[in-house]
Amino acid sequence: MSIFEYNGSAVVAMVGKNCFAIASDRRLGVQLQTIATDFQRISKIHDHLFIGLSGLATDVQTLYQRLVFRHKLYQLREERDMKPETFASLVSAILYEKRFGPYLCQPVIAGLGDDNKPFICTMDSIGAKELAKDFVVSGTASESLYGACEAMFKPDMEAEELFETISQALLSSVDRDCLSGWGGHVYVVTPNEIKEKILKGRMD
Amino acid sequence: MKLDTSGFETSMPTIGFGSSSDMLDELSSVPSFDLPHTKEFDGFQKKAVDMLKHAKGTTTLAFIFKGGVMVAADSRASMGGYISSQSVKKIIEINPYMLGTMAGGAADCQFWHRNLGIKCRLHELANKRRISVSGASKLLANMLYSYRGMGLSVGTMIAGWDETGPGLYYVDNEGGRLKGDRFSVGSGSPYAYGVLDSGYKYEMSVEEASELARRSIYHATFRDGASGGVASVYHVGPEGWTKLSGDDVGELHYHYYPVPPAIAEQVMEEATAE
Repeated sequence: MSIFEYNGSAVVAMVGKNCFAIASDRRLGVQLQTIATDFQRISKIHDHLFIGLSGLATDVQTLYQRLVFRHKLYQLREERDMKPETFASLVSAILYEKRFGPYLCQPVIAGLGDDNKPFICTMDSIGAKELAKDFVVSGTASESLYGACEAMFKPDMEAEELFETISQALLSSVDRDCLSGWGGHVYVVTPNEIKEKILKGRMD
Repeated sequence: MKLDTSGFETSMPTIGFGSSSDMLDELSSVPSFDLPHTKEFDGFQKKAVDMLKHAKGTTTLAFIFKGGVMVAADSRASMGGYISSQSVKKIIEINPYMLGTMAGGAADCQFWHRNLGIKCRLHELANKRRISVSGASKLLANMLYSYRGMGLSVGTMIAGWDETGPGLYYVDNEGGRLKGDRFSVGSGSPYAYGVLDSGYKYEMSVEEASELARRSIYHATFRDGASGGVASVYHVGPEGWTKLSGDDVGELHYHYYPVPPAIAEQVMEEATAE
Protein backbone atom coordinates (compact mmCIF):
# COMPACT_ATOMS: atom_id res chain seq x y z
CA MET A 1 0.00 0.00 0.00
CA SER A 2 1.33 3.42 -0.89
CA ILE A 3 1.85 6.27 1.53
CA PHE A 4 -1.29 7.97 0.22
CA GLU A 5 -3.26 4.94 1.41
CA TYR A 6 -1.74 4.90 4.89
CA ASN A 7 -4.57 6.76 6.60
CA GLY A 8 -7.39 6.31 4.06
CA SER A 9 -9.71 9.08 2.93
CA ALA A 10 -12.49 10.06 0.53
CA VAL A 11 -13.41 13.63 -0.43
CA VAL A 12 -15.85 14.82 -3.08
CA ALA A 13 -17.24 18.21 -4.13
CA MET A 14 -20.15 18.93 -6.45
CA VAL A 15 -21.58 22.01 -8.12
CA GLY A 16 -25.25 22.95 -7.99
CA LYS A 17 -27.35 25.96 -8.92
CA ASN A 18 -25.69 28.88 -7.10
CA CYS A 19 -24.54 26.46 -4.43
CA PHE A 20 -21.98 23.75 -3.88
CA ALA A 21 -21.57 20.72 -1.65
CA ILE A 22 -18.40 19.20 -0.27
CA ALA A 23 -18.32 15.87 1.56
CA SER A 24 -15.79 13.56 3.13
CA ASP A 25 -15.64 10.32 5.07
CA ARG A 26 -14.78 10.30 8.77
CA ARG A 27 -12.31 7.46 9.21
CA LEU A 28 -8.77 7.85 10.45
CA GLY A 29 -6.83 4.62 10.21
CA VAL A 30 -3.34 3.24 10.34
CA GLN A 31 -3.33 0.92 7.35
CA LEU A 32 -6.10 -1.56 8.14
CA GLN A 33 -6.70 -0.58 11.77
CA THR A 34 -9.32 2.09 12.43
CA ILE A 35 -8.20 4.60 15.01
CA ALA A 36 -10.96 7.21 14.96
CA THR A 37 -14.36 7.71 13.35
CA ASP A 38 -14.64 11.48 13.69
CA PHE A 39 -11.67 12.85 11.77
CA GLN A 40 -12.16 16.31 10.25
CA ARG A 41 -11.06 16.43 6.64
CA ILE A 42 -13.03 19.42 5.45
CA SER A 43 -12.29 22.83 6.91
CA LYS A 44 -13.73 26.28 6.41
CA ILE A 45 -11.45 29.01 5.15
CA HIS A 46 -14.21 31.60 5.10
CA ASP A 47 -17.99 31.50 4.80
CA HIS A 48 -17.94 30.85 1.08
CA LEU A 49 -14.74 28.80 0.78
CA PHE A 50 -14.06 25.28 1.99
CA ILE A 51 -11.09 22.99 1.52
CA GLY A 52 -11.13 19.22 1.88
CA LEU A 53 -7.80 17.44 2.13
CA SER A 54 -7.27 13.74 1.49
CA GLY A 55 -4.09 11.74 1.98
CA LEU A 56 -1.66 11.49 4.88
CA ALA A 57 -3.43 12.81 7.97
CA THR A 58 -0.49 14.65 9.46
CA ASP A 59 0.00 16.61 6.24
CA VAL A 60 -3.75 17.28 6.08
CA GLN A 61 -3.62 18.98 9.45
CA THR A 62 -0.34 20.85 8.86
CA LEU A 63 -1.30 22.05 5.41
CA TYR A 64 -4.66 23.26 6.69
CA GLN A 65 -2.96 25.26 9.43
CA ARG A 66 -0.56 26.88 6.93
CA LEU A 67 -3.42 27.80 4.60
CA VAL A 68 -5.51 29.35 7.35
CA PHE A 69 -2.46 31.40 8.37
CA ARG A 70 -1.92 32.64 4.82
CA HIS A 71 -5.59 33.50 4.42
CA LYS A 72 -5.68 35.44 7.67
CA LEU A 73 -2.66 37.46 6.54
CA TYR A 74 -4.45 38.15 3.25
CA GLN A 75 -7.56 39.28 5.12
CA LEU A 76 -5.51 41.68 7.20
CA ARG A 77 -3.76 43.16 4.19
CA GLU A 78 -6.65 43.28 1.70
CA GLU A 79 -9.51 43.73 4.21
CA ARG A 80 -11.63 41.19 2.38
CA ASP A 81 -11.96 37.44 1.89
CA MET A 82 -9.97 35.61 -0.78
CA LYS A 83 -11.73 34.60 -3.96
CA PRO A 84 -11.80 30.83 -4.54
CA GLU A 85 -9.79 31.09 -7.76
CA THR A 86 -7.08 33.06 -5.99
CA PHE A 87 -7.06 30.59 -3.10
CA ALA A 88 -6.63 27.69 -5.50
CA SER A 89 -3.59 29.39 -7.01
CA LEU A 90 -2.22 29.97 -3.51
CA VAL A 91 -2.60 26.29 -2.61
CA SER A 92 -0.99 25.26 -5.88
CA ALA A 93 2.02 27.51 -5.21
CA ILE A 94 2.42 26.28 -1.62
CA LEU A 95 2.34 22.67 -2.80
CA TYR A 96 4.89 23.23 -5.56
CA GLU A 97 7.28 24.91 -3.10
CA LYS A 98 7.71 21.41 -1.71
CA ARG A 99 8.21 19.80 -5.11
CA PHE A 100 11.02 17.46 -3.97
CA GLY A 101 9.58 16.61 -0.58
CA PRO A 102 5.85 17.11 -1.06
CA TYR A 103 2.94 17.33 1.29
CA LEU A 104 1.36 13.92 0.77
CA CYS A 105 -2.19 15.14 0.34
CA GLN A 106 -4.60 15.99 -2.45
CA PRO A 107 -6.77 19.04 -1.79
CA VAL A 108 -10.30 19.60 -3.01
CA ILE A 109 -11.30 23.27 -3.00
CA ALA A 110 -14.89 24.43 -3.23
CA GLY A 111 -16.18 27.98 -3.01
CA LEU A 112 -18.68 30.59 -4.21
CA GLY A 113 -17.03 33.25 -6.33
CA ASP A 114 -18.29 36.50 -7.79
CA ASP A 115 -22.06 36.59 -8.39
CA ASN A 116 -22.31 33.47 -6.22
CA LYS A 117 -20.99 31.32 -9.01
CA PRO A 118 -19.79 28.00 -7.55
CA PHE A 119 -16.14 27.06 -8.09
CA ILE A 120 -14.56 23.65 -7.48
CA CYS A 121 -11.13 22.30 -8.21
CA THR A 122 -8.78 19.55 -7.12
CA MET A 123 -5.02 19.19 -7.22
CA ASP A 124 -2.47 16.44 -7.01
CA SER A 125 0.12 16.50 -4.26
CA ILE A 126 2.46 18.85 -6.12
CA GLY A 127 -0.10 21.44 -7.14
CA ALA A 128 -1.44 20.55 -10.59
CA LYS A 129 -4.85 22.23 -10.69
CA GLU A 130 -7.79 20.46 -12.22
CA LEU A 131 -10.85 22.69 -12.63
CA ALA A 132 -14.15 21.00 -13.24
CA LYS A 133 -17.67 22.20 -13.91
CA ASP A 134 -19.48 19.30 -12.29
CA PHE A 135 -17.63 17.37 -9.59
CA VAL A 136 -14.17 16.59 -8.27
CA VAL A 137 -13.02 13.64 -6.15
CA SER A 138 -9.93 12.62 -4.23
CA GLY A 139 -8.72 9.94 -1.82
CA THR A 140 -8.40 6.17 -1.69
CA ALA A 141 -11.98 5.74 -2.86
CA SER A 142 -11.52 8.11 -5.82
CA GLU A 143 -12.11 5.54 -8.56
CA SER A 144 -15.40 4.41 -7.04
CA LEU A 145 -16.31 8.06 -6.48
CA TYR A 146 -15.72 8.94 -10.14
CA GLY A 147 -18.09 6.19 -11.18
CA ALA A 148 -20.79 7.07 -8.65
CA CYS A 149 -20.66 10.83 -9.33
CA GLU A 150 -20.70 10.35 -13.10
CA ALA A 151 -23.82 8.23 -12.79
CA MET A 152 -25.69 10.38 -10.27
CA PHE A 153 -24.75 13.94 -11.20
CA LYS A 154 -27.17 16.31 -12.93
CA PRO A 155 -26.40 19.95 -13.68
CA ASP A 156 -28.16 22.81 -11.84
CA MET A 157 -29.42 20.92 -8.83
CA GLU A 158 -30.89 22.83 -5.92
CA ALA A 159 -29.37 22.53 -2.45
CA GLU A 160 -31.70 19.76 -1.18
CA GLU A 161 -31.24 17.54 -4.21
CA LEU A 162 -27.51 18.24 -4.28
CA PHE A 163 -27.23 17.08 -0.68
CA GLU A 164 -29.02 13.82 -1.48
CA THR A 165 -26.90 13.19 -4.55
CA ILE A 166 -23.55 13.84 -2.95
CA SER A 167 -24.45 11.78 0.11
CA GLN A 168 -25.51 8.79 -1.96
CA ALA A 169 -22.42 9.04 -4.16
CA LEU A 170 -20.12 9.22 -1.13
CA LEU A 171 -21.72 6.40 0.85
CA SER A 172 -21.95 3.97 -2.04
CA SER A 173 -18.32 4.63 -3.02
CA VAL A 174 -16.81 4.24 0.44
CA ASP A 175 -18.75 0.98 0.86
CA ARG A 176 -16.40 -0.42 -1.77
CA ASP A 177 -13.25 0.81 -0.03
CA CYS A 178 -11.63 -0.86 3.00
CA LEU A 179 -9.78 2.28 4.01
CA SER A 180 -12.47 4.95 4.07
CA GLY A 181 -15.98 5.35 5.35
CA TRP A 182 -17.28 4.89 8.88
CA GLY A 183 -19.74 7.75 8.38
CA GLY A 184 -19.84 10.89 6.27
CA HIS A 185 -19.61 14.64 6.73
CA VAL A 186 -21.40 16.90 4.24
CA TYR A 187 -21.43 20.69 3.90
CA VAL A 188 -23.94 22.30 1.54
CA VAL A 189 -23.20 25.98 1.00
CA THR A 190 -25.60 28.50 -0.54
CA PRO A 191 -25.10 32.28 -0.66
CA ASN A 192 -27.03 32.68 2.60
CA GLU A 193 -26.25 29.66 4.73
CA ILE A 194 -23.98 26.73 5.41
CA LYS A 195 -25.66 23.43 6.24
CA GLU A 196 -23.50 20.84 7.93
CA LYS A 197 -24.74 17.25 8.21
CA ILE A 198 -23.28 14.00 9.53
CA LEU A 199 -24.22 10.88 7.57
CA LYS A 200 -25.00 7.50 9.11
CA GLY A 201 -23.01 5.00 7.10
CA ARG A 202 -21.86 1.42 7.38
CA MET A 203 -19.35 1.14 10.20
CA ASP A 204 -17.35 -1.72 8.77
CA MET B 1 26.63 27.25 -15.34
CA LYS B 2 26.06 26.48 -11.68
CA LEU B 3 23.51 23.74 -11.15
CA ASP B 4 20.77 24.85 -8.77
CA THR B 5 20.77 22.30 -5.94
CA SER B 6 18.65 24.36 -3.54
CA GLY B 7 15.89 21.74 -3.87
CA PHE B 8 18.26 19.10 -2.50
CA GLU B 9 18.95 20.79 0.78
CA THR B 10 17.98 18.62 3.71
CA SER B 11 17.90 19.70 7.33
CA MET B 12 20.01 16.73 8.40
CA PRO B 13 22.60 16.13 5.71
CA THR B 14 24.60 12.90 5.97
CA ILE B 15 27.91 11.86 4.57
CA GLY B 16 27.30 8.46 2.99
CA PHE B 17 30.26 6.35 4.11
CA GLY B 18 29.21 4.60 7.29
CA SER B 19 29.64 7.54 9.63
CA SER B 20 27.51 7.50 12.76
CA SER B 21 24.24 9.35 12.41
CA ASP B 22 25.09 11.72 15.21
CA MET B 23 22.90 14.78 15.08
CA LEU B 24 25.77 16.99 16.18
CA ASP B 25 28.00 16.16 13.21
CA GLU B 26 29.33 19.14 11.35
CA LEU B 27 27.16 20.24 8.47
CA SER B 28 28.51 18.79 5.25
CA SER B 29 29.19 21.33 2.55
CA VAL B 30 27.61 19.20 -0.21
CA PRO B 31 23.77 19.20 -0.17
CA SER B 32 22.39 15.70 -0.78
CA PHE B 33 19.37 13.46 -0.30
CA ASP B 34 19.19 11.27 2.79
CA LEU B 35 20.00 7.73 1.72
CA PRO B 36 19.63 4.53 3.75
CA HIS B 37 22.88 2.99 5.01
CA THR B 38 22.87 -0.28 3.16
CA LYS B 39 25.18 -2.19 0.85
CA GLU B 40 22.41 -3.13 -1.55
CA PHE B 41 20.45 -0.03 -2.34
CA ASP B 42 18.51 -1.39 -5.30
CA GLY B 43 16.70 -4.24 -3.60
CA PHE B 44 16.40 -2.50 -0.25
CA GLN B 45 12.94 -1.00 -0.71
CA LYS B 46 11.43 -4.25 -1.92
CA LYS B 47 12.94 -6.17 1.01
CA ALA B 48 11.52 -3.65 3.45
CA VAL B 49 8.03 -4.09 2.01
CA ASP B 50 8.32 -7.88 1.95
CA MET B 51 9.25 -7.90 5.63
CA LEU B 52 5.74 -6.92 6.61
CA LYS B 53 3.77 -10.01 5.72
CA HIS B 54 0.24 -8.89 4.95
CA ALA B 55 -2.14 -10.66 7.28
CA LYS B 56 -5.01 -12.58 5.76
CA GLY B 57 -7.71 -9.93 5.44
CA THR B 58 -10.62 -11.41 7.31
CA THR B 59 -11.96 -12.27 10.76
CA THR B 60 -12.94 -15.80 11.71
CA LEU B 61 -13.28 -17.31 15.13
CA ALA B 62 -14.31 -20.54 16.81
CA PHE B 63 -14.55 -21.68 20.40
CA ILE B 64 -15.57 -24.75 22.39
CA PHE B 65 -18.07 -24.35 25.22
CA LYS B 66 -20.46 -26.52 27.19
CA GLY B 67 -23.00 -26.73 24.35
CA GLY B 68 -20.55 -27.63 21.57
CA VAL B 69 -18.54 -25.50 19.18
CA MET B 70 -19.46 -21.99 18.02
CA VAL B 71 -18.01 -20.87 14.68
CA ALA B 72 -18.34 -17.33 13.28
CA ALA B 73 -16.87 -15.29 10.42
CA ASP B 74 -17.30 -12.04 8.48
CA SER B 75 -17.95 -12.00 4.73
CA ARG B 76 -15.67 -9.42 3.14
CA ALA B 77 -13.13 -10.12 0.39
CA SER B 78 -10.58 -7.37 -0.20
CA MET B 79 -7.93 -6.88 -2.89
CA GLY B 80 -5.53 -4.39 -1.36
CA GLY B 81 -7.80 -1.46 -0.58
CA TYR B 82 -10.67 -2.44 -2.86
CA ILE B 83 -13.59 -4.42 -1.50
CA SER B 84 -14.24 -7.06 -4.09
CA SER B 85 -17.18 -8.68 -2.31
CA GLN B 86 -19.26 -8.25 0.83
CA SER B 87 -20.95 -11.63 0.57
CA VAL B 88 -18.31 -14.35 0.64
CA LYS B 89 -19.12 -17.60 2.43
CA LYS B 90 -16.20 -18.08 4.77
CA ILE B 91 -17.63 -20.97 6.75
CA ILE B 92 -17.34 -24.05 4.58
CA GLU B 93 -19.53 -27.07 5.22
CA ILE B 94 -17.20 -30.04 4.89
CA ASN B 95 -19.88 -32.55 5.86
CA PRO B 96 -23.01 -32.40 8.03
CA TYR B 97 -21.04 -32.54 11.29
CA MET B 98 -17.84 -30.66 10.42
CA LEU B 99 -17.17 -27.06 9.47
CA GLY B 100 -14.06 -25.33 8.16
CA THR B 101 -13.34 -21.60 8.16
CA MET B 102 -11.69 -19.67 5.36
CA ALA B 103 -8.87 -17.19 5.84
CA GLY B 104 -6.20 -16.40 3.28
CA GLY B 105 -6.63 -17.28 -0.38
CA ALA B 106 -10.26 -18.01 -1.20
CA ALA B 107 -9.47 -20.50 -3.95
CA ASP B 108 -6.99 -22.37 -1.77
CA CYS B 109 -9.41 -22.66 1.13
CA GLN B 110 -12.39 -23.70 -1.00
CA PHE B 111 -10.43 -26.32 -2.92
CA TRP B 112 -8.67 -27.90 0.01
CA HIS B 113 -11.79 -28.01 2.15
CA ARG B 114 -13.69 -29.77 -0.62
CA ASN B 115 -10.75 -32.12 -1.03
CA LEU B 116 -10.87 -32.80 2.71
CA GLY B 117 -14.59 -33.52 2.44
CA ILE B 118 -13.87 -36.11 -0.22
CA LYS B 119 -11.21 -37.75 1.91
CA CYS B 120 -13.52 -37.82 4.95
CA ARG B 121 -16.24 -39.52 2.92
CA LEU B 122 -13.78 -42.08 1.58
CA HIS B 123 -12.68 -42.78 5.16
CA GLU B 124 -16.31 -43.33 6.17
CA LEU B 125 -16.85 -45.77 3.35
CA ALA B 126 -13.63 -47.66 3.98
CA ASN B 127 -13.94 -47.86 7.78
CA LYS B 128 -17.74 -47.85 8.24
CA ARG B 129 -17.50 -45.03 10.78
CA ARG B 130 -17.15 -41.28 10.73
CA ILE B 131 -13.70 -39.74 10.81
CA SER B 132 -12.74 -37.90 13.99
CA VAL B 133 -12.06 -34.13 13.96
CA SER B 134 -8.50 -34.95 14.97
CA GLY B 135 -8.12 -37.28 11.98
CA ALA B 136 -9.68 -34.86 9.52
CA SER B 137 -7.47 -31.97 10.63
CA LYS B 138 -4.42 -34.23 10.43
CA LEU B 139 -5.29 -35.17 6.83
CA LEU B 140 -5.54 -31.48 5.92
CA ALA B 141 -2.36 -30.49 7.78
CA ASN B 142 -0.31 -33.24 6.11
CA MET B 143 -1.62 -32.25 2.69
CA LEU B 144 -0.72 -28.59 3.27
CA TYR B 145 2.70 -29.55 4.65
CA SER B 146 3.54 -31.31 1.42
CA TYR B 147 2.85 -28.04 -0.45
CA ARG B 148 4.95 -25.99 1.95
CA GLY B 149 6.82 -23.10 0.35
CA MET B 150 4.74 -23.20 -2.83
CA GLY B 151 2.71 -20.14 -1.93
CA LEU B 152 -0.56 -21.59 -0.67
CA SER B 153 -2.32 -19.25 1.72
CA VAL B 154 -4.63 -21.09 4.11
CA GLY B 155 -5.46 -20.23 7.73
CA THR B 156 -8.33 -22.47 8.69
CA MET B 157 -10.05 -23.92 11.71
CA ILE B 158 -11.66 -27.35 11.59
CA ALA B 159 -14.57 -27.58 14.00
CA GLY B 160 -16.72 -30.64 14.54
CA TRP B 161 -18.34 -33.09 16.88
CA ASP B 162 -17.14 -36.69 17.05
CA GLU B 163 -17.23 -39.60 19.55
CA THR B 164 -14.94 -37.79 21.96
CA GLY B 165 -17.16 -34.71 21.97
CA PRO B 166 -16.53 -31.27 20.45
CA GLY B 167 -13.25 -30.80 18.59
CA LEU B 168 -11.45 -27.69 17.32
CA TYR B 169 -8.16 -27.56 15.44
CA TYR B 170 -6.26 -24.72 13.78
CA VAL B 171 -4.43 -25.65 10.55
CA ASP B 172 -2.36 -23.32 8.37
CA ASN B 173 -0.44 -23.31 5.12
CA GLU B 174 2.92 -23.77 6.88
CA GLY B 175 1.67 -27.21 7.92
CA GLY B 176 1.02 -26.19 11.53
CA ARG B 177 -1.79 -27.92 13.42
CA LEU B 178 -2.90 -26.86 16.89
CA LYS B 179 -5.59 -28.25 19.15
CA GLY B 180 -7.34 -25.68 21.27
CA ASP B 181 -10.47 -24.24 22.86
CA ARG B 182 -10.51 -20.75 21.35
CA PHE B 183 -9.07 -19.51 18.08
CA SER B 184 -9.42 -16.45 15.92
CA VAL B 185 -7.72 -16.14 12.54
CA GLY B 186 -7.19 -13.18 10.22
CA SER B 187 -6.32 -9.49 10.26
CA GLY B 188 -9.29 -8.76 12.53
CA SER B 189 -8.38 -11.49 15.02
CA PRO B 190 -6.73 -9.25 17.66
CA TYR B 191 -9.97 -7.28 17.99
CA ALA B 192 -12.09 -10.41 18.07
CA TYR B 193 -9.82 -12.00 20.71
CA GLY B 194 -10.27 -8.95 22.92
CA VAL B 195 -14.04 -9.32 23.04
CA LEU B 196 -14.04 -13.13 22.97
CA ASP B 197 -11.52 -13.62 25.77
CA SER B 198 -13.18 -11.14 28.11
CA GLY B 199 -16.67 -12.57 27.62
CA TYR B 200 -15.89 -16.29 27.49
CA LYS B 201 -17.21 -18.76 30.07
CA TYR B 202 -17.30 -22.49 29.47
CA GLU B 203 -20.78 -22.78 31.01
CA MET B 204 -22.44 -20.40 28.53
CA SER B 205 -25.72 -21.36 26.96
CA VAL B 206 -26.06 -21.59 23.19
CA GLU B 207 -27.77 -18.17 23.02
CA GLU B 208 -25.07 -16.47 25.09
CA ALA B 209 -22.32 -18.11 23.08
CA SER B 210 -23.86 -17.09 19.76
CA GLU B 211 -24.28 -13.52 20.99
CA LEU B 212 -20.62 -13.49 22.12
CA ALA B 213 -19.48 -14.79 18.74
CA ARG B 214 -21.60 -12.25 16.85
CA ARG B 215 -20.37 -9.39 19.03
CA SER B 216 -16.74 -10.40 18.58
CA ILE B 217 -17.09 -10.44 14.81
CA TYR B 218 -18.92 -7.10 14.89
CA HIS B 219 -16.16 -5.44 16.91
CA ALA B 220 -13.52 -6.83 14.57
CA THR B 221 -15.36 -5.48 11.52
CA PHE B 222 -15.60 -2.07 13.17
CA ARG B 223 -11.87 -1.75 13.80
CA ASP B 224 -10.38 -3.76 10.95
CA GLY B 225 -10.65 -2.34 7.45
CA ALA B 226 -10.37 -5.72 5.78
CA SER B 227 -13.34 -7.27 7.63
CA GLY B 228 -16.98 -6.47 7.16
CA GLY B 229 -20.21 -7.46 5.44
CA VAL B 230 -22.28 -10.08 7.23
CA ALA B 231 -21.46 -11.76 10.54
CA SER B 232 -22.43 -15.44 10.21
CA VAL B 233 -22.66 -17.65 13.28
CA TYR B 234 -22.83 -21.45 13.17
CA HIS B 235 -23.25 -23.92 16.01
CA VAL B 236 -21.87 -27.48 15.97
CA GLY B 237 -23.71 -29.79 18.33
CA PRO B 238 -23.98 -33.56 18.76
CA GLU B 239 -26.43 -33.76 15.83
CA GLY B 240 -24.23 -31.75 13.49
CA TRP B 241 -24.01 -28.07 12.58
CA THR B 242 -26.76 -25.48 12.20
CA LYS B 243 -26.54 -21.91 10.99
CA LEU B 244 -27.79 -19.66 13.76
CA SER B 245 -27.65 -16.17 12.25
CA GLY B 246 -26.30 -13.98 9.52
CA ASP B 247 -26.54 -10.30 10.47
CA ASP B 248 -25.35 -7.36 8.40
CA VAL B 249 -22.75 -5.60 10.55
CA GLY B 250 -23.78 -2.19 9.22
CA GLU B 251 -27.13 -2.68 10.93
CA LEU B 252 -25.60 -4.43 13.97
CA HIS B 253 -23.67 -1.27 14.77
CA TYR B 254 -26.81 0.81 15.16
CA HIS B 255 -28.44 -2.06 17.05
CA TYR B 256 -25.64 -2.11 19.64
CA TYR B 257 -25.02 1.66 19.60
CA PRO B 258 -28.24 3.38 18.58
CA VAL B 259 -27.96 7.03 17.59
CA PRO B 260 -29.84 9.04 20.24
CA PRO B 261 -32.71 10.82 18.50
CA ALA B 262 -32.03 14.55 18.24
CA ILE B 263 -34.28 16.57 20.48
CA ALA B 264 -36.54 18.50 18.15
CA GLU B 265 -36.69 22.18 18.83
CA GLN B 266 -39.88 23.15 20.59
CA VAL B 267 -42.13 25.11 18.29
CA MET B 268 -43.36 28.24 19.98
CA GLU B 269 -47.04 28.51 19.56
CA GLU B 270 -48.44 31.94 19.23
CA ALA B 271 -50.46 32.87 22.27
CA THR B 272 -54.03 33.10 21.14
CA ALA B 273 -55.67 36.34 22.08
CA GLU B 274 -58.40 35.60 24.56
